[in-house]
Amino acid sequence: MLGSPHRSKMAATYGLRVLSLSRHFQSAFAISPASQVQHCGKLSFRINALSLPACAARVTSVAGRSVHSRPLHTSQRRDGLMEFFDLPENWGESRVKSGAPWTAKQLRNKSNEDLHKLWYVLLKEKNMLLTVEQEAKRQRVQMPSPERLRKVDRSVKRLNTVVQERETALRLLQTGQERARPGAWRRDIFGRTYWYRFKEYSIPWYLNKRYKRKRFYTPYFVNPYIRLRIEQHMRQKRRQRLAEARRQKKLMERFPNMAAKAKTN
Amino acid sequence: MARRVLYPIYQMGNPQLRVFRPNFSMTLVRPGKEQPPDTVQFRISMEMTKCDVKNYLEKIYSVPVAAVRTRIQYCTNKKRNHLNQRVKRPDYKVAYVQLAQQQTFQFPDIFPKKESQPEEGSMEAIQEKFMEDEQQRQKPDPRRGGVPEWFGI
Repeated sequence: MLGSPHRSKMAATYGLRVLSLSRHFQSAFAISPASQVQHCGKLSFRINALSLPACAARVTSVAGRSVHSRPLHTSQRRDGLMEFFDLPENWGESRVKSGAPWTAKQLRNKSNEDLHKLWYVLLKEKNMLLTVEQEAKRQRVQMPSPERLRKVDRSVKRLNTVVQERETALRLLQTGQERARPGAWRRDIFGRTYWYRFKEYSIPWYLNKRYKRKRFYTPYFVNPYIRLRIEQHMRQKRRQRLAEARRQKKLMERFPNMAAKAKTN
Repeated sequence: MARRVLYPIYQMGNPQLRVFRPNFSMTLVRPGKEQPPDTVQFRISMEMTKCDVKNYLEKIYSVPVAAVRTRIQYCTNKKRNHLNQRVKRPDYKVAYVQLAQQQTFQFPDIFPKKESQPEEGSMEAIQEKFMEDEQQRQKPDPRRGGVPEWFGI
């Protein structure tokens, strides 16, 4: 956002910026153009988190000095309940600038600690956006830049996948277990096959009445019905296929010059 | 303190359960009925409890909380869709949080009216100019002194 490779980053990432500060700070401030005066989304939040001036233009002037100057320290922001609202500079604006959501590729480069902190940053950002959205609904005005909500959601989702990837890798390494919740393919009393997810019980299964009430077997007299079910399924499939073919044929009769592209639709 | 999670069974001596990625969201809303100055109203996830709300605000936002009261708001079932079927609006939980340490909270006006000046030569400015001209054109001739148009030669 300040001209670095991370310039197009999600606006809500100010907290992580605190973390990756030592690495990115120099590059971030070296390239930033002096004309950036607008409060870009949460940029000034990010800067606040660094207890630097809230305006990017002033930041550049700070960057002119030594990066390791005294006023830079990374203490926590304590706005309390005002964190549920956007920056006061953005109040009443029709549009608030924000960057792109975090991609999974970017998140994979981060440490677990960074991801953990980023989760809370995103959580706060989402709460803020929900609050603004609700207030906008109440006052019947347009919410400024509602696309931010979806951006945060995407970031959260990707963060979740990255963390789960790591958990899976660790589990595979340590226990050889592929899934967090193991399971097995089982057949029920009607011969249907489904994925049964194992649950934890405090007593062994042969003492557990409720577990034993479940029937994970198929009696032999059900076998013909399984065959019938398969047959029914295949008939349905065939019927659908034929109906589609008939429809295509009819269309071809009516519109012989129909484009090949439209035929598939 | 998270939705749709099956927690492991707690055995004596096990480490305390910790949630590393809480996925609850809280929405601060303007109270419909007037509340005492130290009370803040939230819309919270259905699964959240009073303890959750207290912990959430204290740990994540570092807001001192004295007491939390919750209720569930039933939302309307009267709406009909285009097929005349009933559509239920989702219910939500409301939390009234009383702040500790004599803190007060006033819901700010986050949509103040701003006089915006569109930039020179931008699309909005041109549109505005056009609308102004059109309105000027629509106005009756002031020299006629309010006499209707149909009257005259």
